[in-house]
Amino acid sequence: MSIKVAGDFLGLLAEHKLAPLSAGQGSHLPPVTQATTVFAFHFRDGVLMAGDRRATAGNVIVTDQVEKVLEIDSESLLAIAGVPATAFEMARVLQTSFEYYRRSQLQSLSLKAKVRALARLLRDNIPMAMQGVGIVVPLFAGIDRNSHPAEAKIFFYDPLGAQFQAVGNASSGSGSGTIRSVMAFEERYGSPRPSEMSLPQAVQFALRLLMTASEFDSATGGVNPETDTFATLKILTLEGVTTISNSDQKRFLRQEATTS
Amino acid sequence: MTEEPYRWLEAVANRREYVKDQLKGGSPVFAVSLNAGILFFGVGTGQSKIFEIFDRHAMGAIGHPADIEKMRQAAIDVAHMEAFTRAADDVTLKRLVSFALSPQLKNQFEQIFSAPILVEILLAELGRAPSEDLLVRLHFDGSFELKRGGISVITLDPQTERNACDWLSSQVNAATPIQEAIKRCRDAWTILKLGKNFQEIPGPEILEQSWKKESVDREMELGFLDRNTTKPSRFRSLEAGVEK
Repeated sequence: MSIKVAGDFLGLLAEHKLAPLSAGQGSHLPPVTQATTVFAFHFRDGVLMAGDRRATAGNVIVTDQVEKVLEIDSESLLAIAGVPATAFEMARVLQTSFEYYRRSQLQSLSLKAKVRALARLLRDNIPMAMQGVGIVVPLFAGIDRNSHPAEAKIFFYDPLGAQFQAVGNASSGSGSGTIRSVMAFEERYGSPRPSEMSLPQAVQFALRLLMTASEFDSATGGVNPETDTFATLKILTLEGVTTISNSDQKRFLRQEATTS
Repeated sequence: MTEEPYRWLEAVANRREYVKDQLKGGSPVFAVSLNAGILFFGVGTGQSKIFEIFDRHAMGAIGHPADIEKMRQAAIDVAHMEAFTRAADDVTLKRLVSFALSPQLKNQFEQIFSAPILVEILLAELGRAPSEDLLVRLHFDGSFELKRGGISVITLDPQTERNACDWLSSQVNAATPIQEAIKRCRDAWTILKLGKNFQEIPGPEILEQSWKKESVDREMELGFLDRNTTKPSRFRSLEAGVEK
């Protein structure tokens, strides 16, 4: 007798033979759209998650309008790096799964379970990743209501699905190497440190990081207030998720940072 | 027995009586379409009568808890499968009821050798305006009625249900504030529990006393499909008009 796990949306899809992310067969590899800089760090009020908006295929810029930081539910964010086709499908599966669980079980999924749900999708995606056409290395942030007091946490993954909690920050994508060093430096010697920054300071810092990444990585879209080119920035706090609009990004980038 | 039409009809009629008898004493549920959204009102034991189904959809029910759960789960499964395979905008209450819930109830009711589903259901879909809201009364035998906006009630007697609807419609309209609508639903619930005819409404003091007496050891269950939020999920649980 098979045992059904309550509130398992992937199980429901499998019952109807609609399981997503199943590996296809074939030896011809199409041009793969990828490359990115996404990162997340703790600031005074919660977590800021940011991503550039460029998608590339080889040396071709496909678009500069991609949203790589996605609200999965009112208490979790996903930043995608890798192949958008797979990453967006993972995001869609997570969004539906978390809501399905909340509505059917009349309670929210715990943060640990959310983190593992993404790990499970990455593991299911290993055949595609091994073929070189579906690699995804995401970041995840969510509110842990079971810790006392409740707090926002950041997690990063490897392509095989291993999950790790980030202490201060995490980054992913082709431009992440550049900014990882900057974030580590600022966390040790900065004044204020990213974890002590106010919202305007954190937004300014995030935009400057993306500008720096784009100087060294052609696959990372830049931030340019003169051409109204901005990033995707989302804030996760105990009150929920908010998106920093382009006009706010412009304002924060130009204003003098204060520690208040 | 099923080979003989008369005996089959008799069995179904008996079954109808049995279901109505089993549902007797169920606590009424109300849905009111307001400018701000759709209010669900019920009195139960907490998360027992009013439920979120999907982004713009909610459900109220009376009946056996296991059967309410069965239908609630069926509605949630179908809505999420539809949203995942197509899109959230393609989840519509009319299709949910016509092609999923109603056939399931009808089949179960007419299979006279298996247990019927003991449930009466009220579903709502939030539109852009009260006139676009859809309220659906779904009965234990799979029959259903659709209604645009206004008020819908679950009781066990069609005439009582009409009376309750008419009385509430005279007290509440789309412009009524949520708190006021909750009070009027509470009054209607009390009148129904007292078994009074809606032609003779008890005074406010008697209603208040009766409410306290009838609702002892129970709690008000309030759900609200919010028309003004920008979040995809419009449903909120309320506590006497205040978000929980």
